[in-house]
Order: sequence, then structure tokens, then C-alpha cells
Amino acid sequence: MRVDAGLAAEQFSNLKNVGEAATPNFTGRSASFACGAVARVSLHIDDAQRIDDAKFKVAGCTVLVAALSVLTEQVKNKTTAEAAVLAEDLETIESGLGPEAADRGDCVLLASEALLEAIRAYSDSARDQWDGDDALICTCFGVSERTIENEIQTKHLNSIASVTRACNAGAGCRSCYPLIEEILEEVNGK
Amino acid sequence: MIYLDNNATTRVAPEVFAAMRPFLTEAYGNPSSAHSLGQRMKAAVERAREQVAELIGTAHASEIVFTSCGSESDNWAIGGFLEQNPTRRHIITTRVEHEAVRNLCAHLEKIGCEVTWLGVNENGELNLDDLHQALRRDTAIVSVMLANNETGVLFPIDEIGKIVRENSDAVFHVDGVQAVGKIPIDLKNSEVDLFALSGHKLHAPQGVGALYIREGLKLSPFIIGGGQEFGRRAGTSAVPNIVGLGAACELAKNVDGHDRIEHLRNKLEDEILRTIPNARLNGTPDRARRLPNTANISFEYVEGENILVQLDEAGICVSTGSACHSTTHESSPTLQAMNVPYTAARGSIRFSLGRYNTEAEIDQTLKVLPEIIGKLVEMSPYDEELKALYANRAQL
Repeated sequence: MRVDAGLAAEQFSNLKNVGEAATPNFTGRSASFACGAVARVSLHIDDAQRIDDAKFKVAGCTVLVAALSVLTEQVKNKTTAEAAVLAEDLETIESGLGPEAADRGDCVLLASEALLEAIRAYSDSARDQWDGDDALICTCFGVSERTIENEIQTKHLNSIASVTRACNAGAGCRSCYPLIEEILEEVNGK
Repeated sequence: MIYLDNNATTRVAPEVFAAMRPFLTEAYGNPSSAHSLGQRMKAAVERAREQVAELIGTAHASEIVFTSCGSESDNWAIGGFLEQNPTRRHIITTRVEHEAVRNLCAHLEKIGCEVTWLGVNENGELNLDDLHQALRRDTAIVSVMLANNETGVLFPIDEIGKIVRENSDAVFHVDGVQAVGKIPIDLKNSEVDLFALSGHKLHAPQGVGALYIREGLKLSPFIIGGGQEFGRRAGTSAVPNIVGLGAACELAKNVDGHDRIEHLRNKLEDEILRTIPNARLNGTPDRARRLPNTANISFEYVEGENILVQLDEAGICVSTGSACHSTTHESSPTLQAMNVPYTAARGSIRFSLGRYNTEAEIDQTLKVLPEIIGKLVEMSPYDEELKALYANRAQL
């Protein structure tokens, strides 16, 4: 099927950020079983947790390619937390691609997943390397294990969503969801 | 614009338009009318019938019935014979037929017919032993295309017809839509009973087709109504289109152009395969067994839709076997049946040439294509696979 000339096609002919971000970089992949498209995003992230380079590679439809081009451009110079929030806002991304992306939510989702996976790869690595006194759980918003425990105890929290509302932990790339779950179980004595 | 999508449809030839013109202006009668204007229309229809009959080599012009399109011809041939023979419910066809036959047979399978689907090898060719073994006493119809619309691979209908005739009572239907006007066809010396063709594939307008029905073969009507087409197909004859189809058949008989098209196709195909490392041919490399105008080439590890869009931007029209419909990505059933790996099927492009293509257009295509593929290769996440392909090529 042909994608009509429009915003997505325009992005396609004016592609940005094809390739591999400078090393060391963090890579995220996504693939669709339904359509067979494969996408890869790589990010270079500075010491202030800011994305200073974002690149992609892809074998997929024009809408997916355009979405990756737009998304990688938008996350540059954003913190990983800001980038994660942006990646999860699929409606805004879709509307930025014009009418031909309107019924192509799956393609946009694939682009967003690759980006989120790359951010998660960074978060997991940053969490492992964290050498502060207090274990770091949410790297996007810099929330420690102790803070989360306190919030759960004092406010009697019992879900990830309530923890996120209370202290922002888990509001970014969500790579810390299993950890927050563990803390919830520990504190609530399960 | 460089139009390399002639298997999809073709431009109406100026000669064809000139022949049609009077029938779109002053000659507006109904060929069923008894007055002289009606009779003039009728004569034009009969002349067109002879022109079609001559191009495909039928014994009698009366064996040609005009329809609205190739799909109608296919549907009528298969459906009409089954209706006429209610005790025979076994059909043999192939996995690589055009949708007009493939989807019809899938539908017939759902409503109680038994269908044997013949597979193809990786070159897109049938194994005739499979056909032999599939034939049964109650086989009603064998339906096989002459030329595949995607790859241009030709099926040996003369040989197939003999096998069908010698081993069964089945009738033999051939979807000839993609072949007519591109290769010589001689039905009177074949065992073909039914043969479908479509005007717009050979420079006639869209909206007209024909079905060859071997003399003596009875088909139930597909459209019931008036007595047009000797009572075989009702509906007022589309005289301008029918005249156009006749003129297009006349034009196609002059085969001088065919060698030129084949030469251009060969140049395009050879150069692409020689210069682009991730290019691979779909369909048999034996050109004698393919249409002279078609080159179906996969660019591995890149996306056909991306290639199509970029070629379009460069003013070049092609088609791709990979169609993305939001949630499902259907790679072509023909390429699937040929076991083309999906990373290659996704990147398949069909170049189909026609009588109006020039060498300069082929040169221009060969100029822009490597750059487009190069950009997509750079973008592909299959870095390792592509690196290996390009390194191999560099060594040769």
C-alpha cells in the first residue's frame, strides 16, 4: 500500500538521525510479530542524564520510519525522564505525523517501544552502577529505595500507581516497576 | 513519469483510443437494436471479436465472449462450469494464482467444494507430477494461470492441458490475463477449454475483458438477463470498450515491440543484480520461462514500501509484494509459496515494462535505484547480514 504524500512522507524524504549514537551508547529494540518490522534506537546519555545523541535503524513501513525520525529528534537534549514521558504519549506523536499515521497506531507504538527500551537499558545500567548509600530505584526521577519505603509506610500505599503518584517513582521508563513491586510486598509484609 | 507498473494496468494506446472515439461520440447505438445505427454497433463488436480471436488463436471467433474484466471471466469460467455440473465438486488450482482465482477457490472451498492447491518450487515452477496425482474421476475443473502477475513465471499450459485431458474428464481453465499481448498464444492447438483475458493489461481501457469458451462447452450464465453475446452473457455490450479491446489485440499482434521490451527488461534486471549486492531475483532465472516484460527483484533486509515511496518521489512507478495494512503485514502469497525468506519478500519490487518505455527511462531508473537502496541499507537494523552480503560481493 502506498502512503499518500503527507507529513510522514515528508519526514521520510528528510530523514534525521539514521545510524548509531556515539559509544558508549544504550540500545533498545522492538519488533512486530504482526508485521515483521524491526526497529532499533541507540542513545548517548551525558552525566546529567541528558540525551545528547539519539539515532535509529529500521526495516519497516514509512510511518514507522517517520515516527523514529521525529521521535529521536524530539528527545535530544531531554532528560531520560522527559524522553520517557514523551515516548509514552502516542497520541501526540501520531498527530505530529499527519493524517496518514492516524490508523497506524501499531507502527507508532513500535517506534516508541524501541526508544523506551533504550532508556530502560540506560536506567538498568545506571541503577547497577549507582554507588550511593541508599539504593537507587527510579533512575528517571532519582527516587531511592528508602524514599519509596517511607512513602509506602506513612501513606499505606499498596499499588505501583499509588507509589508513582506519591513520589514520582515509576513515572518515566518504568524499568523499576518490578523493583517497586518487590518493595511493596516487603513493606506490606507479603 | 517513468511507468514501470504495466502488469498493474497499461496506458490506453493512441491507436486504441482513435478506434474507440467514434463509439463515444456519434456512434451511440445499442448493438441489440434492429436499426442501421444498432447494426453498425453490432458489426463493430463482431469485428472486435475476430480481432481478439485472432490474437489468441481460437478456431472460431464465436468462442469469444466479452465480459467486464478478467476477474469476471475467471469467476464465470469456474463458477459457471460448477453450476452446470452439480455432481462434480473437486477443483485443482495453484497457490500462486491471481486473487480472482485464488480467493474464488478459497470461497468455494468454504461452501463445500474440495480444492487441491498445487505448490511451486523456489523458482515459482509447478511440479507436473503433483498435478497428475491430484487428478480424480470427479475433478470438475483445473485452473492454472499462464503467466504469474508478480514474477512473470510462465506455466506450461500445453503440457498441463495434455495431462488434464489424458487423465481426467476435467475442463481446463487458464487465467491468461497477464500473458495476453506479451507472448504468442495459440488456443486452437492446445487443450485449453476456458481462457480469461483483460483489456487494460494490453493498452485497452479498464472495464472490458473476455472469456474464451471452447466450442461445445456449456457454462451456466454468470449474468442473467437479455440475450446479448448469443445468450451467454446478458447486459448491454460496452461497445466503445469492446472496440478498444479489439484494436488493442490488433496492435499486440505486431510483435516487433516485444523484443525491444525484453531487451530493456534484461538490461534493467542484469544491471540491478550486478550492481546491488542485496538484490535477488524472484522467479526462475530461465528467461524463456518468464514473461519478457517482468522483473521481480527483492532487496533483502530493506522495506519494499520504502523503496516504492522513494522511487515514486523520483518519478518512477513500480509495485511491491509487501503491503502494510496497519496491523497485518501481508507478504505476497506468491513469494510465500516460493519460500522466499520474509526478509527478502518484504523488500520485493516488481518492475513491469510496456511498449512505451524507453532506454533512457531504464537508464534513469538504474541511476537512481542504487542510491535509494544504499540509503535504506544504511538505515536497516540488519547490519550484520548486510555487511556479509556486501563483503561477499566486494570479493567477487
